[in-house]
Amino acid sequence: MTDPAQTPDNVSDPIRSARFRQEREPGWRRLEDLITRAEKGGVHGFSYQEALELSSLYRQAMNSLSVARAISMDKALLTYLDRLCARAYLVVYAPQESVRGALTRLFTQSIPQAVRRSGLALFIGFLAMLLGGFTGYALFQQDPSWYFTFVPAELADGRTPEASADYLRSTLYDTSVRSGEGLGVFASFLFSHNTQIAILIFALGVFAMLPSFVLTFYNGVLLGAFSATFIDAGLGYDVLGWLSIHGVTELSAICVACAGGAKLGLAVLMPGNRTRRAALHHNGRDAVKLMILAGLMLIVAALVEGFLRQLVQSTEWRLAIGWGLGLMWLAWLMLAGREGAAR
Amino acid sequence: MTTTSPAKRRLENYLPPEGVPIMFDLASLGTRLGAQIVDVLITFGGVFVVILLVVWSGLLAGSALVTLFLLLVFFVRIPYYIFSELVWNGRTLGKRITKIRVISTDGRRLTPHQITARNLMKEIEVFTPITTLIGASAMTGLEQTVLILWVLLVLIIPFTNRRRQRLGDMIAGTVVVDQPKTTLLPDLATAPLASSRGYEFHPEHLEIYGRFELQTLETILRSPPKGPEERKRVHDIARTIIGKIGYHEKVPQNQEWEFLVDFYRYQREYLESRQLFGDARENKFHADKTDDA
Repeated sequence: MTDPAQTPDNVSDPIRSARFRQEREPGWRRLEDLITRAEKGGVHGFSYQEALELSSLYRQAMNSLSVARAISMDKALLTYLDRLCARAYLVVYAPQESVRGALTRLFTQSIPQAVRRSGLALFIGFLAMLLGGFTGYALFQQDPSWYFTFVPAELADGRTPEASADYLRSTLYDTSVRSGEGLGVFASFLFSHNTQIAILIFALGVFAMLPSFVLTFYNGVLLGAFSATFIDAGLGYDVLGWLSIHGVTELSAICVACAGGAKLGLAVLMPGNRTRRAALHHNGRDAVKLMILAGLMLIVAALVEGFLRQLVQSTEWRLAIGWGLGLMWLAWLMLAGREGAAR
Repeated sequence: MTTTSPAKRRLENYLPPEGVPIMFDLASLGTRLGAQIVDVLITFGGVFVVILLVVWSGLLAGSALVTLFLLLVFFVRIPYYIFSELVWNGRTLGKRITKIRVISTDGRRLTPHQITARNLMKEIEVFTPITTLIGASAMTGLEQTVLILWVLLVLIIPFTNRRRQRLGDMIAGTVVVDQPKTTLLPDLATAPLASSRGYEFHPEHLEIYGRFELQTLETILRSPPKGPEERKRVHDIARTIIGKIGYHEKVPQNQEWEFLVDFYRYQREYLESRQLFGDARENKFHADKTDDA
């Protein structure tokens, strides 16, 4: 330590870090003013010059902070610059997309692309439902009393294996059943019921996918046993129409929700080279889009189930509407967002 | 990439695209709860107004009203959180009032995906289970237990990790921080000369202390003594420093404050110039450290 102490001659010649601060302080103050304005009303009210000034002052402040850390021991200054840069960062790096732009991109690109990326998860979702359906059907064929094990009484609504074919037929075509309530209410009830199931299936996927699979499988079993009741009564074609009109969309939505859950579960089970948290984060991108898609499909399904199913009585039309809707979903998901490079 | 210090609950070394690390204070869980309560009041308040209007106009009644309520809650709540955080850059109205905000952990701007993900997860984590618990009467004891356990688990998660993230934050890669506040205090080194004579210091006086002591002294100097007790404290500090650095001149008792201000200036200039030469002195133990190394 032979270095002589630098003695300040007088106050008009301040030490280096104080000079540094004096020279730059007006710029920081100006930046602070701009930030305060932007925090209140956003940057949309800025003129071109002001916007340019903001970004250049922000970079200068970042630069000042970096230099100050090297040359200054003034804690007040360091704290101030750190906070100023943080505030400016939050203004400069605000989301630039408008709500409309974000929504348009979501529907024209993001969702279809996410679906096309999620082949394995979707396969798992639909497989769970199909396996469940076959199991339910097969068990019912073996012993119809299984029906009571699977199907809760309030859901069955008298549609049991003992019921007469006439009664079963009436449940498929009768419009008076729901006349007391009004179709809109019925539709919204269906929607909130189905959404709860879908949310449950999705969320539980994070636990290694198993609960999602089981729940979807169970839905399939219900479906299988339910159809078997009607098929045994010789109403196979009619029940197909009754289920198709909304079921193509609704059951697909359940499978898509399950696929979303599976996406999360796959991240936990097979994170690959990432950590589990990173894998969850990565797969979460597509999983969330699958969930939005499932929600959208459930809204459509509830509307169809609540209104159209009661209004359209011919099985042919029911089949046409149901599978037509399914085709439209498929076309959207397979064709949209192709031209842009996949992100 | 980012690290947190558990004591102060800060998000340190947050790296913006400019590559200069900055720091954010993590929002306390109490503040977040407050913001959430405001938001719930806003969304439910809005729905209630609509419901009251419908009741008043006599359009719907009974079960239809309940269904409308459930539906509105669903279609008001989810878009409210997502769109307000999208428009106001990570701030809902509740967060604006409590001065907290959501930022992305990767140092980039918040993406719509992150905002959607964290708010959809909020739906899954908290709202749906709770409304199910309240709404559905026909539930078995097992189902209720599972739901309650789930809600408890979800609520505990922010307490168990250092960044206070809930499940949705982890999946979206976001963290909730305090809105930074800026106050620039005057530079003590440019304050008008405290004493008329000005104390002089030699290098041997300035060898002792490091950055930590200097910045502690700065904090002390920012609040001049008012009462006798505070003057006594300044006296103690001045005497300790004079003893430690072995100052050669006599410092009269009424000159101690001026002595400290002068000492701060000399010490700071000395340490800053040492740092420029690559000799960063963190605290008064710097000499031991260099000996060991």
